[in-house]
Amino acid sequence: MRQLNPLERQGEALRYPPGDLAVWIFILAELSVFAIFFAAYAFTRMQHVALFDQYQATLDRTSALYNTLALITASYFVVRAVAAIRENRAAQSRNWLWAGVGMGLLFLVIKGAEYAHHFAEGVRLSTNTFYMFYLSLTFFHFMHVILGIIVLAVLAVRTGQGHYDAASHTDIESGASYWHMVDLVWLILFPLVYVMH
Amino acid sequence: MQYQSQSVAKLYFVAAIGLFVGQILFGLILGLQYVIGDFLFPAIPFNVARMVHTNLLIVWLLFGFMGAAYYLVPEEAERELFSPGLAKLLFWVFLIAGALTVLGYLLVPYSSLADLTGNDLLPTMGREFLEQPTITKLGIVVVALGFLFNIGMTILSGRKTVVNLVLLIGLVGLAVLFLFSFYNPDNLVNDKYYWWWVVHLWVEGVWELILGSILAFVLIKTTGVDREVIEKWLYVIIAMTLITGIVGTGHHYYWIGTPEYWQWWGSVFSAMEPIPFFMMTVFAFNMVNRRRRNHPNQAAVLWALGTAVMAFLGAGVWGFLHTLAPVNYYTHGSQITAAHGHMAFYGAYVMVVLTIISYAMPMMRGRQAANSNRSQVLEMWSFWLMTVSIVFITLFLTGAGILQVYLQRFSENPMPFMMVQEKISLFYWLREIAGLVFLVGLVLYVASFFVGSKDPEVAVEQAASPTA
Amino acid sequence: MSQAFTKAMARNIFYGGSLFFLLLFLALTFDTQSMLPDRDNRQAITEKVAMGKRLWEKNDCIGCHTLLGEGAYFAPELGNAYKRLGGKAGIIGFIKSRPKEGIPGRRSMPQFNFTDEELDAIAEFLKYASEIKTARNWPPNIQG
Repeated sequence: MRQLNPLERQGEALRYPPGDLAVWIFILAELSVFAIFFAAYAFTRMQHVALFDQYQATLDRTSALYNTLALITASYFVVRAVAAIRENRAAQSRNWLWAGVGMGLLFLVIKGAEYAHHFAEGVRLSTNTFYMFYLSLTFFHFMHVILGIIVLAVLAVRTGQGHYDAASHTDIESGASYWHMVDLVWLILFPLVYVMH
Repeated sequence: MQYQSQSVAKLYFVAAIGLFVGQILFGLILGLQYVIGDFLFPAIPFNVARMVHTNLLIVWLLFGFMGAAYYLVPEEAERELFSPGLAKLLFWVFLIAGALTVLGYLLVPYSSLADLTGNDLLPTMGREFLEQPTITKLGIVVVALGFLFNIGMTILSGRKTVVNLVLLIGLVGLAVLFLFSFYNPDNLVNDKYYWWWVVHLWVEGVWELILGSILAFVLIKTTGVDREVIEKWLYVIIAMTLITGIVGTGHHYYWIGTPEYWQWWGSVFSAMEPIPFFMMTVFAFNMVNRRRRNHPNQAAVLWALGTAVMAFLGAGVWGFLHTLAPVNYYTHGSQITAAHGHMAFYGAYVMVVLTIISYAMPMMRGRQAANSNRSQVLEMWSFWLMTVSIVFITLFLTGAGILQVYLQRFSENPMPFMMVQEKISLFYWLREIAGLVFLVGLVLYVASFFVGSKDPEVAVEQAASPTA
Repeated sequence: MSQAFTKAMARNIFYGGSLFFLLLFLALTFDTQSMLPDRDNRQAITEKVAMGKRLWEKNDCIGCHTLLGEGAYFAPELGNAYKRLGGKAGIIGFIKSRPKEGIPGRRSMPQFNFTDEELDAIAEFLKYASEIKTARNWPPNIQG
């Protein structure tokens, strides 16, 4: 509750109005939704181990592995983008951000092909409990990737327009944090849903 | 009051308080019918009294929201209202339409009202909270459009503040979602599915935007805290509201014929719905603690803090109690729901309307900033009486609900509905007594407008610190 | 995450987050709509059932009863009334037999003076409602 203390923050009050508590509640909320879904998945799986194992085998693990690599690579590019802007190299930062967008799009294409395959086989949310969780979790994450790509793209455009430099680039850091969160969620989701028996 | 046209809000507030009194009287009739089943039967059957109770609530809250908008929008936009005349005209249209509708409920059987108003042409009546005749619904749409035009023109041609913008988004959302009340298919599941797009997306969606902006306005005015800080909080709170609340609609889709997965989606997201309310509580207390001045209208500050606390308790905590699907399987459609409904509506929406009335009325009645000490003391008494009795109403209904769920749904030998109702009648009696105390509080509230009106106004130096 | 959490960021979270979850909700609604034909008993919706639903609405039955748990909590759940009252005859008999002046000291359903055709329509509507496939066969038991 540090940020509640007005005395402590008087100096920066104008530039950084206190409110960090609010954003941390927000990020915590985002992560806890995933956490609850993951816990629910693990809990339900314990009760239907055979069913979950049977349908888990129908998932395309190779695609998921490529997707994991795509997201990790994107995260790496984003890290490079932050590093570049810290050294005032805006053009490079912009390029790294676009590269991150590219890897994100690759993820969407691969995941989209997986969905197309499942839907063609008639798999829906209501097909069975496993697919309910599989589709819910991955689709919820899928939408986060889309949002992350939009964030990165906006940042790339604005970096190209010269909005950021070494002194002022908090937007890029925030966007990068968001992207890492999306990546992190997948790194839990992938073993949990695709691999773990 | 900085702009002359703000004073149209007074009409709306007076009407709101009048209808509030009517709502409570019918609430007491309903409460009595729960224990004396033939009370007023067959003149005013339960369903008619309930319709009047809930519809008056909705209408007076809408009057309150519109009054709030007419008061705060010009001040925020720093210009006169686009058309005070239109605001007055729409007031009378809405009041007369509302009065005729309520008279229709009371004077003729509901089915005759349906025939009289041509319900067969476009059947929309007879669904909970949307009982109004189709023609009244159309009237509501017309009033809403005129109101939005008036407010929108004022906002768009004036200073655009976050408070105004959020209020406008909330009001537009309210009007747009109301259009789903005209969709009434024969398919019961679809009827229910889209009925919730009005009811849930109102009270757990766009109405919270209206609530947030009114509260933010009053806090800016009474605490003197930097607008930037308050507006940022407002954005984060309403963001959390919609992030959790939209998919949170799923908690109504557990048992109405919709697919099983809603039990997961609904549980996860509606479990997070208390977060924005919790943030609102933190926000309100935080701002008041950091106030740069002691506002002389301490009653308004009390209402504002009360809103934040009671909204969290009623909408947040009591909502969470029965929102998880495994719990809701047993509690769905029981007195638990009624308990939640009473505290949530009072805590969130009744109190925020009373907050803005408390803040604005003294100035519209010619005071500098606040009422006399006697008037404020009486108003604070009414605050505590009404708030404490709604807490007790909620507790008694929760007790009734827990027993009902156990006897009717959970025990080894489930009992029939009516038998269970008799077994829990003690709780209904207690609820009725709490309701009477609420009425006393409401009478004091009304009286506070007439007491000490010749006494001098509370001065800034005299104002006690709200948290000391 | 840096210390600087600006108002613009809060605004973006609001617009972005709302749009995001609205789209998610619409996607789920789309899926629900594609699943409903197997669940909502729509093949049973005849003219009679539709007429019954109109009568249900015209007399504000929801002002006392719940139907699939939604409504007022003054009178019994009707989602399974067809089963609890023993079929259409049970429903019709109950509605017909309500005393005009009520029952002293007790709750009583009003006497609506329905025609035989109307009674049949209401019973058909409640039969249709009782055959909607609700999750976990809600209500939990025959008492509703």
